[in-house]
Amino acid sequence: MFDIFFVQQLVNGLSVGFIYALMAIGFTLIFGVLNVVNFAHGEVYMIGAYAGWLSITIFAPPLFVVILVALAIGALAGFGLERIAFKPFRRFRDEASLKSKAMREATLLSSLAISIIVRELAEKIFGSNMQTIPQDYLLLTPIQIGPLSFASGQFLIFGLSIVMLGGLQWLLKRTQVGLSIRAVANNPMGATYVGINTERTIIATFVIGSTLGAAAGLVVGLYQGAIFPAMGFAPGIKAFVAMVMGGLSSIGGAVVCAIILGVAESVTTSFFAQGWGDLVAYVFLVMTLIFFPTGLFGGGRDRV
Amino acid sequence: MTKQCRTLLATMCLAIFSCGAYAQNKTVAIGYQAPLSGEHAQYGVLFRNSATLAIENFNKSGKLPGVTIQLKFEDSKSDAKEGVNIAKKFSDDQSIVAAIGDFSSGVSMAAAPVYAQNKLAQLSQTASHPDFVKISEYQFRNITTQAYEGPLIANWANANGAKKIAIVAIQNDWGQSVVKYFADAVKANGGEVTETEMFNPGTRDFRSILTKIARSNPDAIYLGSFYEDGSAFLQQKVQMGIKQQVYATSSLYEQKLLDLAGPAANNVYLSTTFLVESPEPHVQAFVKEYEGRYGSKPQMFAAQAFDATNIVLNSIVAAGGANATRAKVRDALAATKDFPGVTGITSFDPKTREPSKILTKLQIQNGKYVLLK
Repeated sequence: MFDIFFVQQLVNGLSVGFIYALMAIGFTLIFGVLNVVNFAHGEVYMIGAYAGWLSITIFAPPLFVVILVALAIGALAGFGLERIAFKPFRRFRDEASLKSKAMREATLLSSLAISIIVRELAEKIFGSNMQTIPQDYLLLTPIQIGPLSFASGQFLIFGLSIVMLGGLQWLLKRTQVGLSIRAVANNPMGATYVGINTERTIIATFVIGSTLGAAAGLVVGLYQGAIFPAMGFAPGIKAFVAMVMGGLSSIGGAVVCAIILGVAESVTTSFFAQGWGDLVAYVFLVMTLIFFPTGLFGGGRDRV
Repeated sequence: MTKQCRTLLATMCLAIFSCGAYAQNKTVAIGYQAPLSGEHAQYGVLFRNSATLAIENFNKSGKLPGVTIQLKFEDSKSDAKEGVNIAKKFSDDQSIVAAIGDFSSGVSMAAAPVYAQNKLAQLSQTASHPDFVKISEYQFRNITTQAYEGPLIANWANANGAKKIAIVAIQNDWGQSVVKYFADAVKANGGEVTETEMFNPGTRDFRSILTKIARSNPDAIYLGSFYEDGSAFLQQKVQMGIKQQVYATSSLYEQKLLDLAGPAANNVYLSTTFLVESPEPHVQAFVKEYEGRYGSKPQMFAAQAFDATNIVLNSIVAAGGANATRAKVRDALAATKDFPGVTGITSFDPKTREPSKILTKLQIQNGKYVLLK
């Protein structure tokens, strides 16, 4: 059983894990700051893929330009999302409202509403089928290393995850914006009292998180050859699981857990059937919640 | 009152009068239930297009003088509850002598007991679940099932020298029937099934499954999926350098597969009942008329609905036209033999009500479906 095919299976698992990780990074960033799940992250991911796909079909630019377009549209989408779904519920500044569970749940539902509306709109405009991607843009060029098969997209996804993770760490630790994001994540009231512009910081978080989400959507869409309105749903669920396993607000933790999920799925497929893959992933989640109630990497709420 | 007004009034009177004069012009209705909204809306629209076309052609043809066939179309939303409601509505409507639909096996089977109870024949153009026609003697279908297609492909693959075959299919009722009938036929021919892999609907990454198949080292792979999953599977198979020949179910006969998968789809073998490029004149006439009216070439689903409607129309004629009753139409449907449809010559088995058709063998070559002799 432990032959070269098993190693190939690990490669497959890693590549699936990195896809979940790409999505989990932006997801966890937004959760870390607002302490609320942004259900529309999957749609930002989809919007990024569609923006890239539209630019490919209209202008056919080089790949890095396509990624830039997705990044720009992702930033816009994040800004818009925050405006429509989150900002209206922050009007009440008194302490009772800020601590109110109902307020938090309200944004949970408003982001879910936006998610449904955007997905249905995309279905109305583009149809619910997968879009045809020109073959040159598919990240499926085979790369054979010894007996192992890789695809060009796997390297890009791997690279992108590393760049995102590293870039985000740098941003959060070394820049003014990053420092204010961490301050707001830690204690929004306190941050306001010391003169940090909370509103602007929250917008910045959404813009950064959504930019990452949109880039992830585009790259994964090109790698899987699948750009369609509901594409954000399945990886969104896995990213959520990875975030919970990783301790809710630890980005590095979410990435590690996403990779564990991906490898678990493909190794399970190798020994049993593919249908059991999800089960194993969720068993990991349940076990984590039982034995590490704060997640594998969740020391406290201060980390972003 | 001006002269013009008076003329208008006279014409109107005449029109009302002439309607009365043709009162014996009888209307016979066909009920059609299919999803026009919801998840499978795109299919219901195709069905309505085809059925409308078939019925208008029939009414123009004058095969039944003095009888107008009317189409009563209801949106089932791909919802079983809705399907049952429509079946009740159709059953209560005495002008309806036969019903067509629904799209999915699930909704068709939910509606079936209502039709059986009211002794109204139900013909589904697409319900391929093995148990659908077993519900009662009022259920018919004109789509061939895996019980028919699976052994045909198995024999074909075996004849091409593939003895060890791996099966990959989607995890649902249909996918399970793909696996069962194909595997049984391969084993009956003395072949071997090296690996059976069911994938969850929505799977986008088939590399784990492909790796497992590569390890089992089959001569060929049999793929039972829809075109979107199929295209991802084929692309990833090429990327991973797996060279085995792929045989696929007829569900992969779809222009969109070629667009999505590109060169990765080349060499795949599959079968179909409907071929847009078929040289037969009645198929070409249908394709031309459909395209002229609705702006796109009909695919398999549209052709299935066109044939289903025509089979019912044929049975109404056989059942006596204006005097057709539900019971007579049902018996005429059961007696359908060698019906020359656009999806091939269709016969219903009078006992099991299972259709038989001739499947056409195809291969994808240079991004096109090519007819194999």
